[in-house]
Amino acid sequence: MNDVALTLETHRLTKRFGHRTAITDLDLAVPSGLTFGLLGHNGAGKTTLVRLLLGLIQPDAGTITINGRRMPDHRRSALAGIGAIVEEPHFHGHLTGRENLRVVAAVRGPHTGSRIEPALARVGLGERADDRVRDYSQGMRQRLGIARCLLADPHLLILDEPTNGLDPGGILQLRRLIADLVAEGRTVVLSSHLLGEIEKTCQAVAVLDQGRLVWQGGIDDLVGESGQYDIDCDRPGVAVDVLRTEPAVVRVDPRPSGVRVRVADPNAVSLVNARLIAAGVAVSGVSPVRISLEERFLEMTTRIGGPRP
Amino acid sequence: MSTAGPMIAAEILKLRRHRSTMLTSGVLSIGITVLYFLVIESRSNGEISAQKALSSGSALLAMYFGSFSAVLIGTTAGTIDLIGGVYRDLVATGRSRVALFAVRVPAAVTVALAFNLAGFAVPVAAAFTGGGVRPGLLAQYAGWVVLATTVVTAVSVAVASVTGSRSVALTAVIGGQTIGTTLLFGAEFLGSLRQGLLSVALSHLRPGPVVGSRDHPGSSNALPGFVLPMSTAVAVLVLAAWVVIPLVIAAWKVRNQDA
Repeated sequence: MNDVALTLETHRLTKRFGHRTAITDLDLAVPSGLTFGLLGHNGAGKTTLVRLLLGLIQPDAGTITINGRRMPDHRRSALAGIGAIVEEPHFHGHLTGRENLRVVAAVRGPHTGSRIEPALARVGLGERADDRVRDYSQGMRQRLGIARCLLADPHLLILDEPTNGLDPGGILQLRRLIADLVAEGRTVVLSSHLLGEIEKTCQAVAVLDQGRLVWQGGIDDLVGESGQYDIDCDRPGVAVDVLRTEPAVVRVDPRPSGVRVRVADPNAVSLVNARLIAAGVAVSGVSPVRISLEERFLEMTTRIGGPRP
Repeated sequence: MSTAGPMIAAEILKLRRHRSTMLTSGVLSIGITVLYFLVIESRSNGEISAQKALSSGSALLAMYFGSFSAVLIGTTAGTIDLIGGVYRDLVATGRSRVALFAVRVPAAVTVALAFNLAGFAVPVAAAFTGGGVRPGLLAQYAGWVVLATTVVTAVSVAVASVTGSRSVALTAVIGGQTIGTTLLFGAEFLGSLRQGLLSVALSHLRPGPVVGSRDHPGSSNALPGFVLPMSTAVAVLVLAAWVVIPLVIAAWKVRNQDA
């Protein structure tokens, strides 16, 4: 990603809590103008990373650069253009939605007050803005949290589990809002357990495991073609025997309706098909096996049968 | 610091909307003062002197119930963001932690003064019905109430910001001002060290005669105070220390704490 403009960058970022290392030598690079997913099991270090990025806690080593500004030297200007929800949005329950935004606007500084009404309207809370937040549903709090982010007119939004408490309609609305924000040239970092949601929303992802970055890049590089093909045929046993001797086939496994093969080169699929037909196996279909984000995620991470100890 | 005004206004908004604190402070600063004067008016057949009205009314506000009201408001201001879980969202705006702390003090003092000066209107009214008041004396008593309220509120904000817990801060400040002060004041072996007590310094600066003072032994026109012989300069220094030291400690604490 060397040639891509980066909104957020960390270099060898490390954070320890006592003897436990929560983040280890993390080199993260978030390109500008897209939705970036942050994936990891509970305890993988996602929230610690978000708290480091927002200056809520200090790193033990490494650097953070936001929009070209190093933290903590340029903390004020770096964070001025960030809107964030950490874990779940908190508010003063005894204040109304509008009053809560007034409080944050006062802290953010001059000219922020004028963004309150547009932000409320954008998240669809204009009519309930004068109700006390303690009477809000979880979904309304999430939307108010987004409105609070928008007060910064942010170039970067960091949203930790933003779909928590949202009904399907609310999730769809949030997905559209995020798409609109990105279309405006903003960058959105989404931290979520909902892999399907990340797959639908994000163009790039980083996978954290035990405080380490195990993968980052475009989501299309992570999911999709797996190099495997399902071949439907009438005699799976014969097909396995034939393909085990075929150099183009890396691996072959029987399936109830045929075989699954892994080939080194996608062009070898037609050769595989020809070999089976020549051996008298009736092939009724060949389809590529797509790997999902969930499968990739579980392959990479350690909690459920992943590769690292 | 062009944004201090709106930030202070936002802090005041949080306090104003905090119903339980406002209600309790209203009862402590205004309700009890009204009740007190109703009782002594009925006992004195409406012949309460202006001096006595101002003296006892101001003591009620500066040293007792008005002081508790100031503690309540100060501790609320010091912890309201932490308890609401909002503090980290405010830190994430990039605003410095010390600035977020600093605006709590004038906001809390403003709200506490609003209550205690409203309460002070009660002895003023009683004083006018009791034969009129010299403006100079009135200003002295009002100034003393303002001074005591400001100091106690600032200390409360600082203690609450350090502890991060309203209940702990309330216990510490009110316990310190009542039981702690009474015990230490009674410990005569401490000698002049007792001049360092907040209540002793405030009592020294109280206008007019004070019960227990050598000039007015046994005077009955005021509530009892913690009076020791000391110079006004020392009393002022003690009060300044009571304000500055807790605030500096609190600022250092919030500057270095995780959000």
